[in-house]
Amino acid sequence: MSEAEKLGPDYELDLGWMDQTGPWDTRAEEGRNGLTLADIQVGEYGRVPDESDNQTGRPRGSAPRSGSYRIGNYAVRTKSEIWLDNASFLYEEALQRQWSSATDVPWHTIEPLPDDIEQAQCQMATFLTEVEFVAGDVPARWVSQTTPDFFEARQLLTAQVMDESRHMDVFRKRAMANGGGLMAATGATSGFVGSIDLSRDFTEMSARLHISGEGAVLTIFRMGELMAYNDAEKAMYRLCAQDEARHVAYGVMHMRYMAETAPERHEEINCYFDEAEAGILSGSANPAGQAPILSEPLAILLGGGIAKFDEGFKKLVALRRRQIQEYKKRVVSAGFGARFENGRSRINEILEQAAAA
Amino acid sequence: MKAVKAAAKAVKSPHAETVRKAVAAPMLEIPEPKLTWMNKSRQWGVRVKPGKKGLTLGSLNVGIYGEIPMDWPDQTRNPRGAIGRKGMPPVGYMLRSKSQVWADCAADLYEEAIQRRWAPATDVPWDTVKPLPDDLERAVCQVNTELSQYANVEIEVISAWQHQMVYGYHEVKQYLATAGFDAARHYEVFRKRALMNGGGLGLEGPGQVNRMILESRGGWTEAVVYLVLVRGLFAQTILRYLEHYASNEAESFIYRNVLQDKARLLTYGLDHLKFAIAHNEDQKQIIATLLAIGDGLFIRDFNDPVLREALAIVFGGSIEGARGAGMDVYHDMMRAYISTHLEYCQWLDVPRRIPEQLEQYAPQD
Repeated sequence: MSEAEKLGPDYELDLGWMDQTGPWDTRAEEGRNGLTLADIQVGEYGRVPDESDNQTGRPRGSAPRSGSYRIGNYAVRTKSEIWLDNASFLYEEALQRQWSSATDVPWHTIEPLPDDIEQAQCQMATFLTEVEFVAGDVPARWVSQTTPDFFEARQLLTAQVMDESRHMDVFRKRAMANGGGLMAATGATSGFVGSIDLSRDFTEMSARLHISGEGAVLTIFRMGELMAYNDAEKAMYRLCAQDEARHVAYGVMHMRYMAETAPERHEEINCYFDEAEAGILSGSANPAGQAPILSEPLAILLGGGIAKFDEGFKKLVALRRRQIQEYKKRVVSAGFGARFENGRSRINEILEQAAAA
Repeated sequence: MKAVKAAAKAVKSPHAETVRKAVAAPMLEIPEPKLTWMNKSRQWGVRVKPGKKGLTLGSLNVGIYGEIPMDWPDQTRNPRGAIGRKGMPPVGYMLRSKSQVWADCAADLYEEAIQRRWAPATDVPWDTVKPLPDDLERAVCQVNTELSQYANVEIEVISAWQHQMVYGYHEVKQYLATAGFDAARHYEVFRKRALMNGGGLGLEGPGQVNRMILESRGGWTEAVVYLVLVRGLFAQTILRYLEHYASNEAESFIYRNVLQDKARLLTYGLDHLKFAIAHNEDQKQIIATLLAIGDGLFIRDFNDPVLREALAIVFGGSIEGARGAGMDVYHDMMRAYISTHLEYCQWLDVPRRIPEQLEQYAPQD
């Protein structure tokens, strides 16, 4: 006879669980921005362990149950491996700034464009549809491998997966909204050794994805008005730029945390930056990179057509400079600026190459 | 709307100005464009117009872009309908058949999830939560602790499978991105409720069903059976009753909105299982076997008194109430769960026998 069947109309209750709780009498209070994740970091509930021994997936601060099954085997159990100090803030911002590619982009403002411009726009949109979700696939993998004790960072990664999904779809929509279509994929994010997909460590992945890859794309999105021909395209780039800025902020703040708390990993992280710098223009994941399948449509869009390719190319070179300057600022902000002083970084050489096309 | 307003403010970017001025920069050696990428499209001349619901993902499925083959061997990120590049090393996607992931409703659910977004920080009327009697607060906190843990499993399972799906079925990947984000929001909102009214988190759940869901490693379809047809539906039934017995508007809002999100996952799950069954001869029997195995673990979790008693206290309003009406409501809830579960199995045409331990909840006929 089951437990439930034993219970009669006047049920006996065990109630032993009522005294097994996390810290009691907790009163998180709403702030100006509502009841945010930061507001519930009260007392013990706000304490994030440096090493997590949580193998059962219990919510941080709840009372452990001795007979509970282990489900964890989480690969990420060390705080410094994934942490950033402002995850709660960025997560709440992500929630507040969700947008819809179906209804928030004024698609009706798109008018037929000259064929060379439409082709360039569609090629760029094809590329962005192709690469945007690498930043969805890869963070998702890390979400599933991270202990819930670091849930603030994990929440932000789930928001990123959502954002990237929207980016993947807004560019597909653009390619099909104006008499064009999808064009040729670049294979930019395939399974190359050294690719974002194949990173074996979260920090390695973050250096490649957040700081280098998304940083380069963020500069392009911020320049969207230069390659937009109507309000729909402008809105698309601006909205994507807002999201992308959060993702880049993840990387910068995570690296800053590493700079402050994990000195034993500084050399390793510098190696990731070496690698990122080497590929910043030559790699095919940067829309302003040197591969003609990307640089040519971008120059056409920036110039205003094939006839103004030279003008567009000059802008493209300026845009590359801008990308590199912004990259440099991010690395300095992350606490690894010494590499630009001590001769380790090759970024100035790369900058010269960018200027020389 | 905040994103749109913020974007509208940035009419001219100062960054762009520096690039505009670059036209006057010294002469560069400018390469001759090769333009080898031009005129390369499998279908040109597509002009999808926004409809009543805007420019939706599903509306893009026109011409060759709407051709969704049963198998997608390409393991790069080649967007469906684009011209792929030859010779690219595979990313290594495990799920490459339509029957392993597909549901016709995925694109619509994706757009619906975006339209129905909500933020626990600002949309829940937290000020309506008033101090509750200690026994009731403890029960509410215990229930929210376990629901938060349910959401944790959902986050882990969805994110573990989503990145293993090929690009050819991007609608599903995209819908699951919303489902993972929903689950993250649920994890957060239940935690917030537990920590804001003089209580705290309770005792972690027993975990057998959690482990069963996480360990359904055979495939996404198998994970869906446990995530949706067993745990998902159980959680949904709990939420429906919690909404009815909520102590304040904030709780009512939370349960109602989570329920709405979960309804999308249930819709996707059932639609996918139906599709998988229709395209895989053995799938129906696999699902039946999984459910039979799952019963044992579900019953072990179910026999744990913690969640049952906490729910009965919430439904009865106090410990005293739990001993009578509260537990009656709990049993009523279980009957509703079993009955709906059986209905869904019947709809899927999956043979199902309710185990003896749960027979008391089975419909009379």
